[in-house]
Amino acid sequence: MLDTFEILSTSGVVLWSRTYVPVHSYVINSLIREVLIEERTNKVAYGDGTTKPTYRKDGYIMKWNLAKDFGLIFVAVYQSLVHLTWIDKLIDNVSALFTGLYGEQLKGETSNAKFPFDPYFDREMQRVEASNDTSTSSAFEVTSNTEFTPPSSSGTDHGADEPPPMPGLRKATAPQKPIYNPDTSTDATPVPTPDTSRPSTPASRILTGKTRPGSKPSRRDRKVKAAENSAPASSGDETSARKGKAAGKQKKNRVWNEFGADEEDKSINLDYSTVSANDPADFELPDAINPESWGRTTGKGQFVLKDLDEEMDEIIASANAKKESSTAAGGIVGSSLGAIGGLFRNVVGGKTLTKEDLEKPLKGMEDHLLKKNVAREAAVRLCDSVERDLIGLKTNSFTTIESTLRTAMERALTKILTPTSSLDLLREISTVTSTNRPYVLSIVGVNGVGKSTNLSKIAFFLLQNHHRVLIAAADTFRSGAVEQLRVHVRNLKELSKREGGEVDIFEKGYGKDAANIAADAVTFAKENKYDVVLIDTAGRRHNDARLMSSLEKFAKLAKPDKILMVGEALVGSDAVAQARNFNNSFGAGRGLDGFVISKCDTVGDMVGTLVSMVHATGIPVVFLGVGQHYADLRGLNVGSVCRLLMS
Amino acid sequence: MAWHDADSWLTLAFAPHPGTLALALLVVIALPILLHAYIYRRRAPDSFPTFLLVGPSGAGKTSLLTLLSHGAPSATHTSSTPTAASLTLPITTTPASSRYRSNNDPSADRARKFRLLDTPGHGKLRHYALSSLTKTSPGGALKGIIFVLDAAALGEDAGAAETGEYLHDVLLLLQKRHTGNKTSKGPAAIPVLVAANKMDLFTALPQSLVKLRLEKAVEEVRKTRGRALKDSGIELSAGDGEEEEREGLADGYEGTFGFKMLEDSDIEVKVAGGSVKGDKGEGADVQEWWGWVAEQL
Repeated sequence: MLDTFEILSTSGVVLWSRTYVPVHSYVINSLIREVLIEERTNKVAYGDGTTKPTYRKDGYIMKWNLAKDFGLIFVAVYQSLVHLTWIDKLIDNVSALFTGLYGEQLKGETSNAKFPFDPYFDREMQRVEASNDTSTSSAFEVTSNTEFTPPSSSGTDHGADEPPPMPGLRKATAPQKPIYNPDTSTDATPVPTPDTSRPSTPASRILTGKTRPGSKPSRRDRKVKAAENSAPASSGDETSARKGKAAGKQKKNRVWNEFGADEEDKSINLDYSTVSANDPADFELPDAINPESWGRTTGKGQFVLKDLDEEMDEIIASANAKKESSTAAGGIVGSSLGAIGGLFRNVVGGKTLTKEDLEKPLKGMEDHLLKKNVAREAAVRLCDSVERDLIGLKTNSFTTIESTLRTAMERALTKILTPTSSLDLLREISTVTSTNRPYVLSIVGVNGVGKSTNLSKIAFFLLQNHHRVLIAAADTFRSGAVEQLRVHVRNLKELSKREGGEVDIFEKGYGKDAANIAADAVTFAKENKYDVVLIDTAGRRHNDARLMSSLEKFAKLAKPDKILMVGEALVGSDAVAQARNFNNSFGAGRGLDGFVISKCDTVGDMVGTLVSMVHATGIPVVFLGVGQHYADLRGLNVGSVCRLLMS
Repeated sequence: MAWHDADSWLTLAFAPHPGTLALALLVVIALPILLHAYIYRRRAPDSFPTFLLVGPSGAGKTSLLTLLSHGAPSATHTSSTPTAASLTLPITTTPASSRYRSNNDPSADRARKFRLLDTPGHGKLRHYALSSLTKTSPGGALKGIIFVLDAAALGEDAGAAETGEYLHDVLLLLQKRHTGNKTSKGPAAIPVLVAANKMDLFTALPQSLVKLRLEKAVEEVRKTRGRALKDSGIELSAGDGEEEEREGLADGYEGTFGFKMLEDSDIEVKVAGGSVKGDKGEGADVQEWWGWVAEQL
C-alpha cells in the first residue's frame, strides 16, 4: 500500500501530506537532493515514456511529478515490495486536482495558505484503486449510481446561479472554514440518528426561505421537493445513515454560524429569536445556504461525495483539455492575432513560453553547445532540462525568449559544474593524516591524457604545502613509465628543497601486479610516516573490459581516499563514455571522486568536455591543467567556464 | 488587385487619406499609454527592508521562515528554490527605528514590516544566496544576514567543516563588498546574525561553544584557502593576463581567526542560540533572533 503522499513546494515547505505509514523525512530529502538538484540520472529508473520515473531508496520506491509553473512537487512513497500500478494515475490526477483547486492561492505566498485537500484525495484514492480492482469497482459503481440520481434539483439550483467552473476555488477563498472538513470528521465517526430527525431538514429549509425575503418561493418549493425525492431514491440502510450524518453535521454548522449571524444584522436576529427558542437549530441555516454554491454540499450532506466526484472530474478534464489545446493549433484568426501578440510580447516580455516558442532557440542553443565541444548527449540533456524548466514560465519585462533561455542555460550550467561538497584537498589530507595514516590519491585515465604529468603537478602543489609525498609507480606496463616518474621526482626534489617538502618514489619495476604494488606503497608510506601517497596507474582504454576489470582489484587493495580521473579537454563526444566507464569500473560502492581536465590551454573557449564529463556522472571537476609547468594546475572557476561556454 | 495598384491598401496606407491619418494618430497616442499600462500594471513592490536566510542544508532555514510567518513551523524538506515572505515584528519587540514612537502610532505598523528571503542550502544552489548578497535585491535594501546553523551538527567534524566553509564564503563576500567599493563612504554595513538552531537537542553545543567552534572552523578554511591553488579564471579567459590578487578573509591579521577581526570591514557578527521546533511542551525559542531583527530595522 501507499505509505505517504506529499505535496511540497520547491522551496521545501510541505503544503499537504497524507501519511499511512510514517516515512522518515530523509527519504524524500534524498529524492530532492539526488534527483532534483544533483540530477544523478543513474539513480533513477526511467519508464518507457508512459510510466513515471522511479527512485529507490532504502526499501522505498518514490514516484513524483513536478508542476513547474506552480513550483510544486507531488511525491508518492511506498514500499518497494509492493507493486502498485495505479500510482502514476493517482499522481497525475492529484496534481491536476490540486493545481486546479488552489491554483490562485499558489500564485501568492504559499507559506501561509491552508489546503483542505483531504476529501479530494480520499475520493481520488478510492476511485483510482477501484478502477484497478474490477471486483470492487462494479460494486462501487452501483452505490455511486444511486447517489447520482437524486440531486437533479440541486443541479438546476446550481445552474440558475451561474456556471462556476471550479467551486473548490470559491470555497477555498471563502472567509469561513471550509464546509467539508466537518463532513469528513462525521464520516469518520458516524452518528446514527433515527430517521425521525429527517422532517426537520425540509422544515428548516422553509424557515430559511422566510429569513430571506429576497429568495424566491419557487426555489424553496423545489428544495422541499428535492428533499422528498431524494428520500425514496436512496434505498437501503447506508443512505439513511448518511442522512443521519448529514443532520448531525448541520447541527455542528449551526453552532458555528451563530456568531456570524449575530454580527451581521441585529434586527434579523431579534426577529428570529422567538423561532430559535423553539428550535434553536433552525435559524443559523440561512448562513449556510446563502452562498448558492455551498448549499448543495452543506444542505444535503449525502451528496457531498457526488459533488466532489463531479467537481474532480471537471477539474481533471479541464486540465487534460488544457494539455490538448496547447498541442493543437488554433484557428487562422486566432493564430495570426496570437502571432502578432507573440511578437509584441517577445519584445516587451510577459510572454508565456510554450514548446513551440522554445523549439528554435533551443536548437540554436544546442548547436552552440556542440560547437563548444560539449558532447551531443550532454547538450541534448541540458537543453531538455532547460526546456522543462522554462515551459509555462512568463518572460520578464523587456526580455526576449532568447535572453531568457540564455540565463536559464547559464543557471543550468552553473548548477551542474558547482560541486555538491567542498573540494578542499588540503583539508581532507589534514583530516586523514591526523588519524596516523597516509592520504592515498590515485589517478586513472585513458592512454596519453597526461596522468603522470598531472600527478607530478599535484605532487608539486602538495610539496609547496610542506607535505611528505610518496609517489608510487604502479604503471608496470608501458616502457619508460617508471623512468619518467623518476625524472619527475628528481625535478620535484630540486624544486622543493627550499620549501621544506619531501618527495620519494616507490617502484617495483615492470611486469608486476599494479594493485599489489599500490598496496605495498601504502603500507610502506604508513611505516615511514609519509603524509600523502600518489599512485600513478597505467593508461587503459575505457571500453576494454579486460583492462578495466583490474581496476576493481586495485580499488580494493589500495583503498584510495580519492580517485581522480584525468580527461583531456580535447576529447569530444567520447568524454561521456570515458567518464561513465571509469566511474563504474571500481566495483559496487566505489566510484570516481573527481576529474582532472588536462590540456585546457589548448582548446581556447571550447571547454565543453568539462560539462560532458560532469553531466555524465555528477562528479565534480577538481583540477584543470593549464600548461606545461609544474605550477600550471588550477582549481575550477565555475563562473568563468560558464562565461566561456555561453560566449 | 495587386499591392502596387493605385488603389491598393498599401498605396492607401501611404496616401494622405484622412482615415490613415486618424489611424496613425490613434496609434501614436495609444501606443505609449498601452505600453505604460502594460509595464506598470504591476506596481513595483513596496520596498521593505530585507533579511537574507543562509546556512547549510538541513539547518532549519525554511522551518524558521514558516515559523516566523505563521506562528508554527511546518514540515519541510530540502529546498531547491529560494522563497520570500513578508513578515511583521511581533508586538512585544520594538524596532530600533521606532523606539520613541507611541505604540498606538499607526505608522509604526509600517516600520515593523520586513521581508525574509529564504535560500536553499544545498551546495549546488548556494549561488542564489551569494548572488543576492552581491547585487541589490529587488524588494528593498539588504538589512542583515541570518546565518542559520545546526548546533548539534556543529559538534561533528563534517558538520562543522561544511558550516565553517559556508560562513567563510559569506563573510569573505561581505569583506570583498567592503574593500571593493570605490567611494570613501563605503557601502551600508550588513550585520550577520549566526542563529544557532536546534538548541533544544541534547547534543547541541552551548552558545559560547558555538562561537568558538565556528571561529575554529572558519580559521581552518581560511588557512587552506590561503594555500590552495589559484582558480582557472585568468588562464581560461585568455587575454588580459593580469594577475588578480587573491583576497583572503581578514588578511591583515596574524593569529587565529576571530569574528572581531572583521569589524574593520564593518561586519558585525553576533551569535545567538534558539530553536525553531522547541522543546517538548514549550514552544519555539526565537526571541533573541527577533530582538536582533528589531535592532536592525
